[in-house]
Amino acid sequence: MNLDAYQIDTEPFYLSTGQEIAIAEAAYHDGTPLLLKGPTGCGKTRFMQYLAWRLRRPLVTVSCHDDLSTSDLVGRYLIRSGEAVWTDGPLTMAVRAGAICYLDEIVEARKDTTVVIHPLADDRRQLPIEKRGELLTAPPEFMLAISYNPGYQSVLKDLKTSTRQRFVALSFDYPEPDKEVEIVCREGGLAPEMAKSLVKLAVMTRGLKDSGLVEGASTRLLILAGQLIGRGIEVKTACRAAISEALTDDRELLAALDEMVSSLF
Amino acid sequence: MQMDLESLKTKFYQLVAPSLPNEWDVEAALEPLLDYEAEYLDGIFSQVPAIWPVSHSLCFAYLNAAGPALSCLAVEELSLWVHSLLDRYETGGLREARLFMADVEQQYACRLRGEGGVRLLDVRSRLQPYVNGLAGKEMPLVAADEVGTDSESIFLPNTIGVLQTHEHNFFLYKLIVSFQWASLSSGMYTAPQWLEVTRKSAHPLDRFFSGFSEPEKARSLYHIFETARVLNFLRHELPGLMREAGVILPLLPLTGDDSSQLNLLDWLQRGLLRDQWPVSSSSPLLARAVALMQRYQEEEMDNLVSLEAVRELMPLVPATEVFTGTSPLLFQGIMRLQEMRNLGVKEQTDKELRLMMTMKAQLPPKVNKTTQPHLEPGNTAGQEAADTALVIDTDSAWEQLPPFLHSLAQRIDNSESQPSEQAADQESSGKSGVVEQASSASGVGKSGQLFSRLSRGPADAKTEEKTVEPAVYDEWDYRRKGFRKNWCVVTEKELAPVHNTFIEQTLKKYRGQIRRLRYQFELLQTSERFIRRQRDGDDIDFDALVESLADVRAGHPPSDRLFIRLARDQRDIAASFLVDMSNSTAGWVGQSIKEALVLICEAMEVLNDRYAIYGFSGMRRLRCEIFPIKRLEERYSQTVRQRISAIGPREYTRMAPAIRHVSSLFAKVEAKVRLLIVLSDGKPEDYDDYKGEYAIEDTRHALLEAKAMGIHPFCITIDRQAHEYMAHMYGEVNYIFIDKINQLPSRMSEIYRTLTS
Repeated sequence: MNLDAYQIDTEPFYLSTGQEIAIAEAAYHDGTPLLLKGPTGCGKTRFMQYLAWRLRRPLVTVSCHDDLSTSDLVGRYLIRSGEAVWTDGPLTMAVRAGAICYLDEIVEARKDTTVVIHPLADDRRQLPIEKRGELLTAPPEFMLAISYNPGYQSVLKDLKTSTRQRFVALSFDYPEPDKEVEIVCREGGLAPEMAKSLVKLAVMTRGLKDSGLVEGASTRLLILAGQLIGRGIEVKTACRAAISEALTDDRELLAALDEMVSSLF
Repeated sequence: MQMDLESLKTKFYQLVAPSLPNEWDVEAALEPLLDYEAEYLDGIFSQVPAIWPVSHSLCFAYLNAAGPALSCLAVEELSLWVHSLLDRYETGGLREARLFMADVEQQYACRLRGEGGVRLLDVRSRLQPYVNGLAGKEMPLVAADEVGTDSESIFLPNTIGVLQTHEHNFFLYKLIVSFQWASLSSGMYTAPQWLEVTRKSAHPLDRFFSGFSEPEKARSLYHIFETARVLNFLRHELPGLMREAGVILPLLPLTGDDSSQLNLLDWLQRGLLRDQWPVSSSSPLLARAVALMQRYQEEEMDNLVSLEAVRELMPLVPATEVFTGTSPLLFQGIMRLQEMRNLGVKEQTDKELRLMMTMKAQLPPKVNKTTQPHLEPGNTAGQEAADTALVIDTDSAWEQLPPFLHSLAQRIDNSESQPSEQAADQESSGKSGVVEQASSASGVGKSGQLFSRLSRGPADAKTEEKTVEPAVYDEWDYRRKGFRKNWCVVTEKELAPVHNTFIEQTLKKYRGQIRRLRYQFELLQTSERFIRRQRDGDDIDFDALVESLADVRAGHPPSDRLFIRLARDQRDIAASFLVDMSNSTAGWVGQSIKEALVLICEAMEVLNDRYAIYGFSGMRRLRCEIFPIKRLEERYSQTVRQRISAIGPREYTRMAPAIRHVSSLFAKVEAKVRLLIVLSDGKPEDYDDYKGEYAIEDTRHALLEAKAMGIHPFCITIDRQAHEYMAHMYGEVNYIFIDKINQLPSRMSEIYRTLTS
């Protein structure tokens, strides 16, 4: 199985904010799966890319959705020129190749689908492929990682205890302001002063949780705004497009966000 | 043409019927209206039906004020004005409403004419989230006569109209809010270390000012210096705001503008806002003050610098200089040091109480030595050691403990035998007050009591679950085209279960039907099905495959739909049944409703749909009652059956508050389809004036509100004949009327089945 396309060759930019790299590497060597949790756009996926690069393993990412079935993960028979041909799903592919399989937003998937990773996530490290009568054992290089956002999902979409208790959990949050400034500078290609103001704006929006904003501006949004500014879009317009409008449709909140932008820039 | 008092009175009595207000009051209210033209009078009287049911006194006050108001307002504008008036009455009571009416020019007419003044009411929705974002916490914006902050709220004037344009006045609001936040955030009110903080005394800064012969002067000086510092802080934090301020601040009028003789404070204000500094040679005091103030423009400093400046300048300020004539800058406001101090003390007390609770929680569980005779003496000693260790644990916080806690902690420390509850009570019976009681309770290991005193705390949630607070709902008044705010009080009441043979008899009577219903409902349940001939799927569809192979052989283009997909239809439905328990359901109607409920419950048991049943009745707006018969998560148990038996005719049919209550409960439920089924026997009606068009319109509105919340309402009406109002009230396709009562039980299940499949 050739997973070259999934290999990450150049070092992705990732600024460590704690012990997460050491923990993830230790978990990798022990064959323990990882659970990443944190708000949207705070660097979970980037962290996985960085980890895959460090460990020199291909990274197979699956974005979960509520129609994701077991076959979508494990594989299915397809008909090719009159023959039934088995095709591996992304999970099976990753297990065979000893890659890192990252199931993004795992709670979005149906509960019966999530159960398929159970034998893979404990010390058995096995993936049964029922339709082929095959039992795959994961090589030591294989790693399973899942992520979810505890912030906005409903109670109905909580992660099952039997699932979550198989993982080493890493909690992610927005970085400290000075680290965030560094990230926005670097990724958005901005001058530190401008990045600092953007981060200030983000901190303000994160304080609006009780005022009706589900989540504040993520680091990703700041980077997007930064990129727009870098392309010559006027600051206030860029903030409106990349931050305010992305955060809410509520007219009053939009007005309040505009006030913040006009105060800051 | 003018009217005489008698005809006015007749007209008024017609409008307010059936109430018969005191004639004296009516005459007094109508007399001032005698001079007005008939068209004005018609306009004024047309609003009476909207105001009278809300408050009689308000209505009389309105009649008095309406005439003068018409000098500022056109007759057509009157209904808008009354709308605002009623809003004002409902938020602030009669007093607010009177103020509103007295000031028709300022409060309302200006805005209608589109002049530059801005009201807090209009900007709050925009600025409240703004300041919450700045502060990272909720900081309420409160209307007050004087600008300022008490560290929890920001006080703002009701209106700002100092500047010409709307934009500029709005900016002033924004500036006040930002400035007050910045004053807190930059530490204007922080006491330096050398000012000792003591419990229950004045704010340390206040004590600093009182050290001078003229404390007020020192206070004003400190405030203006700090203002300069905070503005500089803002220049760094919110550069955009300050750039705009650079344009607008010079436009602000100052007290010094009108006098030829400027005092020190006037000069400093002028310098700050307009950058007009006095000539350096004017006076040594002024020169020094300006030099001190201009230091802030260079770098960020803390408030120590301002304190030092005050200390340096105060001896130089001649006694002839009086600052009292100089009012503070608009955004500056006043320093509310004492309020801050009071808040601080309250917070401290709360913190101590919470500390005490934490300490209590750390206590080992109560060891009752008489019931544990097997404990070795050594073990008991160990227990005591643990108790002692607890006190050491909190040692760091010892100084912060109030005295009564010292004694409590000591008592725990040497409690070889813990005091019984009574003993503990007796021990502290000499003192009085809640705290002592709570401390004794904590001494014997009773928790929860204390938390109820605190505004926050984990135990709050627990206590809430047990007692259901009455809920308050608005009511739609079609005449006013607006809500009567907080008009109806809905109380949830328990329906005591009744043991009788009703359920058994019903089950027996409808045995065959129940069996059939269950079968029909089971068919509804199909949640998984295979869809054949799909382009992709979980498995191969062999029929399709064989066909396509045959097609290939025959030379036809083969189909690519060769898979079977397993589709899971999640029947994610939640239903609420709202049952009329009014007096008119006595007899067969009530009986049939109950039977229908039993039948539907029996049938629902084979489905996974969640469902709730509520009964409603009540009398007048303040006593609308809801009887939970089965809550959504509750099982269809024996108790639920007995509650169904207990359904019986009660009082009136005020349907809308019940609909609003159940919808608001239901809005929190997550389900793909949310169904609200209302079972009633006719028109909504209550003891008071809730009847006819008003009641129909209110019910209709409540149903529309439910729809807006994503709930599908459906109404089943049991009546002899269909009425025209039904289609209007419920909506064309959202109701069914049943004229043969005995059909209801079977029809209802049928209706449910068709609604959800």
